[in-house]
Amino acid sequence: MATKKLRRAKLSQELCERLSRYQITTCQDFLCLSLLELMKVTGESYRNVQKLLRKVSLACAPKMQTAYEMKVRRSINPSAAFLPTSLHSLDKVLHGGIPCGSLTELTSPPGCGKTQFCITMSVLATLPVSMGGLDGAVIYIDTESAFSAERLIEIAGNRFPTYFDSDEKLFCMTRSIHLYRELTCDSVLKRIKSLEEEIISKKIKLIIIDSVASVVRKEFDTKLQGNLAERSNFLARGASLLKYVAEEFSIPVILTNQITTSLSNGLAIPADLVSPAHDLSLSEGASGSGKKESACVTAALGNTWSHSVNTRLILQYHDLLTRQIVIAKSPVAPFSTFFYTVEKSGLVLQDGKNLSNLPWEGTNPALQTIQVRNTALGNALLKTTDETPGDTPSP
Amino acid sequence: MQRDVGSLPLSPALRARLLAAGFQTAQELLETGPCGLSKEIGISREEALEALQVVRQECAGDAAKTAGGSGSTRKCTALELLEEEQTQGFIITFCSALDNILGGGVQLTKITEICGAPGVGKTQLCMQLAVDVQIPECFGGVAGEAVFIDTEGSFMVDRAADIATACVRHCQLIAEAHQEEDHLQALETFSLESILSHIYYFRCRDYIELLAQVYLLPDFLSEHSKVRLVVIDGIAFPFRHDFEDLSLRTRLLNGLAQQLIIIANDHKSAVVLTNQMTTRFGQNQSMLVPALGESWGHAATVRLIFHWDNTQRLATLYKSPSQKESTIPYNITVSIPLGMEIQRWEQSFGSTEIVRGRQT
Repeated sequence: MATKKLRRAKLSQELCERLSRYQITTCQDFLCLSLLELMKVTGESYRNVQKLLRKVSLACAPKMQTAYEMKVRRSINPSAAFLPTSLHSLDKVLHGGIPCGSLTELTSPPGCGKTQFCITMSVLATLPVSMGGLDGAVIYIDTESAFSAERLIEIAGNRFPTYFDSDEKLFCMTRSIHLYRELTCDSVLKRIKSLEEEIISKKIKLIIIDSVASVVRKEFDTKLQGNLAERSNFLARGASLLKYVAEEFSIPVILTNQITTSLSNGLAIPADLVSPAHDLSLSEGASGSGKKESACVTAALGNTWSHSVNTRLILQYHDLLTRQIVIAKSPVAPFSTFFYTVEKSGLVLQDGKNLSNLPWEGTNPALQTIQVRNTALGNALLKTTDETPGDTPSP
Repeated sequence: MQRDVGSLPLSPALRARLLAAGFQTAQELLETGPCGLSKEIGISREEALEALQVVRQECAGDAAKTAGGSGSTRKCTALELLEEEQTQGFIITFCSALDNILGGGVQLTKITEICGAPGVGKTQLCMQLAVDVQIPECFGGVAGEAVFIDTEGSFMVDRAADIATACVRHCQLIAEAHQEEDHLQALETFSLESILSHIYYFRCRDYIELLAQVYLLPDFLSEHSKVRLVVIDGIAFPFRHDFEDLSLRTRLLNGLAQQLIIIANDHKSAVVLTNQMTTRFGQNQSMLVPALGESWGHAATVRLIFHWDNTQRLATLYKSPSQKESTIPYNITVSIPLGMEIQRWEQSFGSTEIVRGRQT
């Protein structure tokens, strides 16, 4: 740990005192200095300083495990590696469901079903292990005040009518979902920092943050100088804290994100190293104007955030009734799309029209274009023609 | 022997005293002897003896260097280097096009950097390399072990196990085709369990843990002398937040690069780093460039950039001292039933795919 005090790194007492005179008290301070500076500060010879460096490094460095030990540990408890989403085709492709120990992000235009999905996952996490749940409590950090307890009960009652046959069971389930309303970035970060203790005391098995984007975009206006760097900083810090918690306790973390429009100057720039959307066949009116601009809708919060999350699921509109769920980024699953509708019991997959195992497909998950409501409606109206919606990733 | 006292690696206080007393060269110190030294500058005899031993070691090292050759120097002729390079192995990636543009595969004793957008396959390639480095020599591999330093938490054991299983099966196919004795012998020890046991995994959560781990790496590599690959998955992630002092960051990164170069050379292993892409805002457009700044670009010897072009993944060799800049398309595949997979493996040597066998 970086903030470990030097005296716990087994350095001698007098050396620690001497270093504290130069304001070097933690391992972090020690390791950031160059060798010459260390020689000056400790008054030791070159060789001794190297030995000291090794001692301090030993105190900070992580433990080694072989990949085999990790595999054995995982196979002892296979059901604990994933949280099934109860959408069977999706679970199959994802090798079990939402992975435990990593961050999963859910992105979609407004009204597509993110909060519904999160509520469903909360119910699932409280179910006993025999039914595919994690038999634990849930922390739900709500920044948009979109959580509805009535909808929670409706989904639970309709999705698992045989299990939730009594009011008692429903209340038991609702008691294990801890809802926190946070409205600023600072409070969200504070809440994330306090998660470690809460997880231990309340036996939490799932963390949901709905949504990260709303609170970040409210406070950071990227057009202002310096805000972009601060925003990335906040996001990176939050992501690393969440990753630590997820890995330490081996629990899934679900985050939701919003969408943004990214503009580009299309053709003039080589397609490879450049960020903008290369989908020229985009939304209505893009090519008609003759300008070289094309806009597309992608996940918000930028490139760095796309690196930080391990799995990215995109929900988007397909036509008036059905929507699509797209696996845009996953270390175990290929790029796939599934159709679903939102019913009383939450999200329901529509079998038969799903496209999975598309080995050659894929686009940059940070730039995956997302279909919003207008385009979906437009497409529904144009359904008679052969025109395929240009920005749908599925063939 | 005429070495100046001020340049000796003694503690600063001692050096200051020696200079104040008027000593100028190492020769003078050695002639004085420990007792004389301790009386003259007022230190204990033990301290004086210690200092003289340091001085003697330094001078011996210097003499060896001027005489032209002990192990600590890195001097050799270009012919010796050529012979070394030609017999050196490469770590193959199982994608023939990628191996071609790299000149045979990932080179040992060099630092290779892989940059790419999120989700493009950097961690997959690193896991593939950690398995491929263990391929026995009779199959064309380097028979080494791998150190995997993970800063982002994206290492999936199950995926690594899948890749390892596919690799073992591939080698079994080759053994069946050729029916040679050493192939079958090597296969006895090349199994899923042995592959996974020789991937040494470290999870570093911030840059201090990463720095500490790299400081300890030379000792670890001396103990595990068969390691031929060090992967640092995500060198950018710990350095990209919480750093107000950018000059400190540059200094730490440069120090890290230097240490990695020394490790790569001394232990004859390949070092593979993965980097993120960041958005750089130009006049009226934005571009994706590798993260960590311009000066970091000098750290790696070979730079590969993975990117998307619509729906096709491309790999570009961006920087290499010996190969030409070129781009190839690649895919990460999912092959399903066993029969089809065997076909794909055979094909891969003539086609442009990274085939990673996997069962669903």
